[in-house]
Amino acid sequence: MCLAVPMQIIRLDGFSARCAARGVEREVSLFMLQDEGVVPGDFVLVHVGYAIQKISREDAEATWELFDQILAAGDADA
Amino acid sequence: MSDARLWLERIRELPIPDGIRIMNVCGGHERSISMAGLRTALPPAIRLIPGPGCPVCICPEEDIYQAIRLGLEGDAVVATFGDMLRVPVNLGRQAVRSLEQAKAAGADIRPIASPIEARIIAEKAAGKPVVLFAVGFETTMAPVAALMAEGLPDNLYILCSGRLTWPAVRLLLDSDECVLDALVAPGHVATVMGPEEWGFVADDYRLPVAIAGFTPASLLRAIHSTIVQWLEETPRLDNCYPEAVKPGGNPKAREFLNRSFDVTAGNWRGIGPIAASAYALKPEFAAHDARLHFPDYDAGDRRHAGEMPAGCDCARVVLGRIQPDECRIYGKPCTPRSPVGPCMVSDEGACRIWWAAGVRKDSAAA
Ligand code: SF4
Repeated sequence: MCLAVPMQIIRLDGFSARCAARGVEREVSLFMLQDEGVVPGDFVLVHVGYAIQKISREDAEATWELFDQILAAGDADA
Repeated sequence: MSDARLWLERIRELPIPDGIRIMNVCGGHERSISMAGLRTALPPAIRLIPGPGCPVCICPEEDIYQAIRLGLEGDAVVATFGDMLRVPVNLGRQAVRSLEQAKAAGADIRPIASPIEARIIAEKAAGKPVVLFAVGFETTMAPVAALMAEGLPDNLYILCSGRLTWPAVRLLLDSDECVLDALVAPGHVATVMGPEEWGFVADDYRLPVAIAGFTPASLLRAIHSTIVQWLEETPRLDNCYPEAVKPGGNPKAREFLNRSFDVTAGNWRGIGPIAASAYALKPEFAAHDARLHFPDYDAGDRRHAGEMPAGCDCARVVLGRIQPDECRIYGKPCTPRSPVGPCMVSDEGACRIWWAAGVRKDSAAA
């Protein structure tokens, strides 16, 4: 629950954004980044449905790799 | 991964003080450390200690009881993060002891992944009261505050159990039995609140502190920083996650927090009250405050209210006084399948993380 996930913005609709991470799409609120001028293509850190910060593509990709490893380990355990 | 190797090499080159205790206060950090096997990769002189990093684990027992009663008797829909459903309260075996059991008994309990879902549930509930049982640290409470700032439907109430992280660290540093020599500060809390909040560790206690992100490389960089600070006797706040952690944090998020909540003293389960550590709804939101709108179901003296479950050592695990596998019932009978304490229920609980990483009693730490 406390894990923030990097996602890429696909399109905007007011303060709401369609975002994607590793093929999974979600509706994300940009209400906390409303002064940051985020645009489609940008990467954001998403926590419980809200974008909390803009990040770079490199950081997003590094974190995705980490999650892949954690998920793989989690599957093995379950 | 090569970045992580590099930091590992740099750490290995240092004359590491024997038994230096480096604490993290974030379930996400602990998961990365455990899953990447950093404890075994690092020199044995370094002890990485999970501290108070799990908001579910310290969520007041009486608040969970209140949420259960609201679902069963208050005729309210209760929406809360999935992690909260299996956390037990202290009642006899025959009683409804968790939100999951309340659901099985007919209460309308909805696990959610975002506070926005609570608003959608309320909009569809045709006037029926919906209670958002809001549990979390700053990273979660900022979104709840944003939801409040956007406007709440009349039938949406908030049972607020949000907590701040740094006051628990101060409590540890003030305690006679201090369990840390250095702190790896939580990257996403600092992303929202700003790095400045953590300066007190170096300024007031002369201990090293570094803010870390969540990749092994970022964590190792922060660990390296704290050891160098220790060796050079120059404790200072080092931001090792500048990609996301900007000076001042996220100003909009902090504005919403300030508009929605007062910071008050609050109970931490099994630990007791901590000054200036709890978010409470501002009077302007009284019409949406579940504590004001519904009866206090905890009135009366329930035995063991506020405590951890009987036999569970979660309070000492949360405070970093023991490691998860030092709990007498770790693994037997307490496992993720049949958890006894909240630290084995929550994805951010140290016991659950260690179990998932393969740590068994009497085996070497992950
Ligand atoms: S092993 Fe279970 S009972 Fe023991 S501290 Fe962890 S969660 Fe609590």
